Amino acid sequence: MGKVMLEVNDLTTKYITRYNEDVYAVDHVSLQVEEGKTLGIAGESGCGKSTLALSLMGYYFPPLYYTGGEIIIDGRSISGMKPDDVRRTILGTEIAYIPQAAMNALNPTRRVINFIEDVILAHDPTENKKFIYELARASFETLGLPPEVLQKYPVELSGGMKQRTVIAVSVILRPKVLIADEPSSALDVTSQKMVIKMLKNLMETGFIKSMIFITHELPLLYNVTDDIMVMYAGQIVERASAREAVFDPLHPYSKGLMGSIIVPESGLRDVKLTAIPGAPPNLKNPPAGCRFAERCKYVRAECRYTNVALYDAGPGRAYRCILSEKVLRDCYEHERAIAA
Amino acid sequence: MKGYRRYFLNKAGWFVITLIAAFLLNFFLPRMMPGDPVAAIVARQAQGMSNSTGVQAIYEQYTKLFGTDKPLFQQFFIYMGNVLRGDFGYSFSQYPRTVAEVLSASLWWTVVLQFPAIIFGWVVGNSLGAIAAYRKGGLDKVAMPISILISNLPAFGMAVILLVVFAATLKWLPASGGYAFDMIPSLSVNFLGSALLHYILPFASIVLLAIGGQAIGMRSMAIYELNADYVRYSRFMGIKDNQISRYVFRNAMLPQITGLALAIGTMIGGALVAEIIFSYPGLGTVLLTAISGRDYPLISAVTLIITIMALIANFAIEILYGFIDPRIKAAQSD
Amino acid sequence: MRHTFRQAFSSGKFVTGFVILMGLLLLVILYPLIFRAPPLQIIAQGTFFPPGIYVSAYDSINAPTTYTLNLDGAAAKRVAAKLKDEDRVAMKEWLVVAGVPEDQIDISDAQKLLTLWAENYDPAKQVKGMTLARQRYFQRVNNAIQGLLSTEGAIIAVRQPESGALQEAGAVKQTDYVNISEVPNVRILPLGTDNFGRDVFAQLVRAIGVSLLIGIVAGLIATGIGLVLGLLAGYVGGAVDDVINFITNIFLVIPSLVLLILISFSVGQESRGAFTVAVVIGVTSWVWTTRAVRAQVISLRNRDHVNLSKLSGHSLFRIIRGDILPYIMSYVFMALILQISAAILAEANLSILGLGPRTTDVPTLGLMMQWAMIYQAHILGKWWAYFPVLISITLITFSMNLMITGLDQVFNPQLRN
Repeated sequence: MGKVMLEVNDLTTKYITRYNEDVYAVDHVSLQVEEGKTLGIAGESGCGKSTLALSLMGYYFPPLYYTGGEIIIDGRSISGMKPDDVRRTILGTEIAYIPQAAMNALNPTRRVINFIEDVILAHDPTENKKFIYELARASFETLGLPPEVLQKYPVELSGGMKQRTVIAVSVILRPKVLIADEPSSALDVTSQKMVIKMLKNLMETGFIKSMIFITHELPLLYNVTDDIMVMYAGQIVERASAREAVFDPLHPYSKGLMGSIIVPESGLRDVKLTAIPGAPPNLKNPPAGCRFAERCKYVRAECRYTNVALYDAGPGRAYRCILSEKVLRDCYEHERAIAA
Repeated sequence: MKGYRRYFLNKAGWFVITLIAAFLLNFFLPRMMPGDPVAAIVARQAQGMSNSTGVQAIYEQYTKLFGTDKPLFQQFFIYMGNVLRGDFGYSFSQYPRTVAEVLSASLWWTVVLQFPAIIFGWVVGNSLGAIAAYRKGGLDKVAMPISILISNLPAFGMAVILLVVFAATLKWLPASGGYAFDMIPSLSVNFLGSALLHYILPFASIVLLAIGGQAIGMRSMAIYELNADYVRYSRFMGIKDNQISRYVFRNAMLPQITGLALAIGTMIGGALVAEIIFSYPGLGTVLLTAISGRDYPLISAVTLIITIMALIANFAIEILYGFIDPRIKAAQSD
Repeated sequence: MRHTFRQAFSSGKFVTGFVILMGLLLLVILYPLIFRAPPLQIIAQGTFFPPGIYVSAYDSINAPTTYTLNLDGAAAKRVAAKLKDEDRVAMKEWLVVAGVPEDQIDISDAQKLLTLWAENYDPAKQVKGMTLARQRYFQRVNNAIQGLLSTEGAIIAVRQPESGALQEAGAVKQTDYVNISEVPNVRILPLGTDNFGRDVFAQLVRAIGVSLLIGIVAGLIATGIGLVLGLLAGYVGGAVDDVINFITNIFLVIPSLVLLILISFSVGQESRGAFTVAVVIGVTSWVWTTRAVRAQVISLRNRDHVNLSKLSGHSLFRIIRGDILPYIMSYVFMALILQISAAILAEANLSILGLGPRTTDVPTLGLMMQWAMIYQAHILGKWWAYFPVLISITLITFSMNLMITGLDQVFNPQLRN
């Protein structure tokens, strides 16, 4: 077992809407990422996976607020640190972020190199510009980006190039953890491929030590990650290795989610495409009991009032359902038989 | 730089085109109306004037100036030629002064009043708007309703209120004119002091109006920018908040500059009416006396000058904008 | 459509603006039904009568019944109303000389002042350094005060037609009152009269109505032209777009006030009615709408549902009506409101320049403002002649802007925060 790069215990954060309502978008989430590993987070849109990404940074601004839990990066807890200390010593250097809409992530009126200067000077005001330029050029070269990009404005770059630039900027300070929130969803297939390839190489080239990869595109998830967490309504509903999560999900929601896509793996082709009917619950006042109960095919009466904990199911594996592993497997087997 | 040259040439081209259009409109609009005022003026000479040599002089002047016996397009070229030489003919209402004489003084009063006021109001309004967007607290809640109310006041309304409060009631400042009645324009300290005193209220009324409108625009632009993706990303890269506010302010300001370029004509128009309330010796007041004296040549010259002023201001802002917004160069060099 | 309305009314800002506007409209509609006097009739001889209730002095003397009321302080009030400021200052001056501490004298409180005066004034007293003329002056002041304080009534006399001699016809005691509802001639002038001696309030109500009408006509014309040109430019594209865009770009930078002045002046005073002014404003202010509609239509032009209609061979008219208009309608409605409020301001600006509607038939807010300015109401302190006009204009534009902001927030959720 490698060194734990990121450890999160019971992290809870909320949004306060303009009507002063609390929305708990991340609800007691715990996770671990080891050195050299990539953790994937899957779920429908609105399940809280993007909010989790924001919350993991440990740097909160309205309308997102921290309410509890702990974030430990490489053995050092950052919860409880002063926001300005987090900004100076953690952001970019320990943990970095690639936003969902990376197309607009760069200030449109600033050259790439000037933005990199801003980033580095924000952490160390004594750095000189020549050094920064050399560092940036070297990083860009290693990552396969033409150094001319540094002198350009974001508008002058194509979509794919812009996204790769954002990635290169994000890792320029060699963070230990990189959080990539749907980094390729807005791109065409070719650019998507290049971006993914670049992300996969980051660890080998030593720019980062571990990664959290968030996407709703499951094939991608399976390709990129080592472990997968499935989120539903702000909670983790299943945690497993990538292989198990995709081919042998336990939680009915994971099962539905994995069933709703076609994985280009032989042996999975026969799985029927089944979208999960219904929509995630409103997190302003989440339902008591299991949050998935409303949409679950195997729902029992007690699901609607029992507060379901995350049950351990072997090493690195857990799921949030009152039904036992065996009952669930039986149900799935039964269904498969009917379908066949 | 190549991109910028292209942008500049494009804007310069538009400047020339709109200038020509302004000349055409100024010439043809009055002549297309049912009661062609120029023809009516020339025909009606004897009625309005008491000075008989004046009547004769104007009659000859106008037949020559407008060439009313010639076809319309030929008249236009005569008109263009005259205008380019600065020859607008005699003023009807202030004969024997020429229109050029009447305007040469008042033009400067207007320029010196309006442009500093609009620029100052723009700068202050934008700063306030940005601050209001950034600190959503008390300032925003107090300042915004006031700005909204102010921006809904018509230009002359602001002028009247300032005049009533500070000149008529408190008697702190003079109510009308550009300098004390007993003075002759000169560069003496006394005169400049008096001019400055008279300058304050008209200046303030234009500034306040500009502040109101600009602050609201800037506030919503800044709020829009604050929610932009790059703000969050910059924060997560550890960039300081005041650096980010500089990004936001600059990016929100850019559309405000183009906004100013487009609104400058309306602002000048409103400020002209404010001038009238203070009987300020600028173009607005000249325009009013010209209209009440049915002084067609003067009206035509004033409207042309206002248009040219607006066009130049617009052009200047666009050129400046090209320097400030890097996206312009990038877009043009594609 | 109903859904759109419901959405609009869910916005507090929209509702506030709407209520203000409807309030003004109700006033415009109901007031003339109750008070039928023509708004532009000259009723006052003289300029700028202050706001208030005007009671015929003749009729109140001849009122059918007089009532006796014994009210405390009636005499003091009477004196206070008669006592001029300069007299009060003089009284204070004397009292200070006579040794009353200055901070005890409040010249705004007539009753106290009179008490002090009665206690301290001695006509025989010689004050050092005071001239004889000054002393005489104070004696006159004292006499005047004594006259005011007398409790005798006034005699009403009529002139004998034959001899011309005066004969007593009755007396009015200080305690006599008449009931205002029994006086046949009472006129309420809530905002006094203007420079011509016309009822400002009646005029203002009419002017709000006319200005709104001008705004609506001008707004409809401008929005109509803007919509048609914008649709053509945006949807048809190509050369049509180039031409329209070219014209729009030109008119965008030429101040519309200039066009307004040129056209209004050329139309001439005689044929410039309220309607003509509205039309002139309408045809000079379509530029913004055109630009905005064009941009919207361009963004719609290649949407799937439009393409589908095109593939189905629907006519241009049908596509515009069915697939484009519904999407920009809320936007066009906002533009219309904006145009209306801009047109009301444009009319005011024009009128102040002396190019408003000809002055004989109807008042407008701009004309009222112009009259007040020409007769220097603002310098003379006659606030009722111009301030209510300003308030009305501001209220109208404010309410309309509120409505637009409200609509904008409903239809462009991005601005909500």
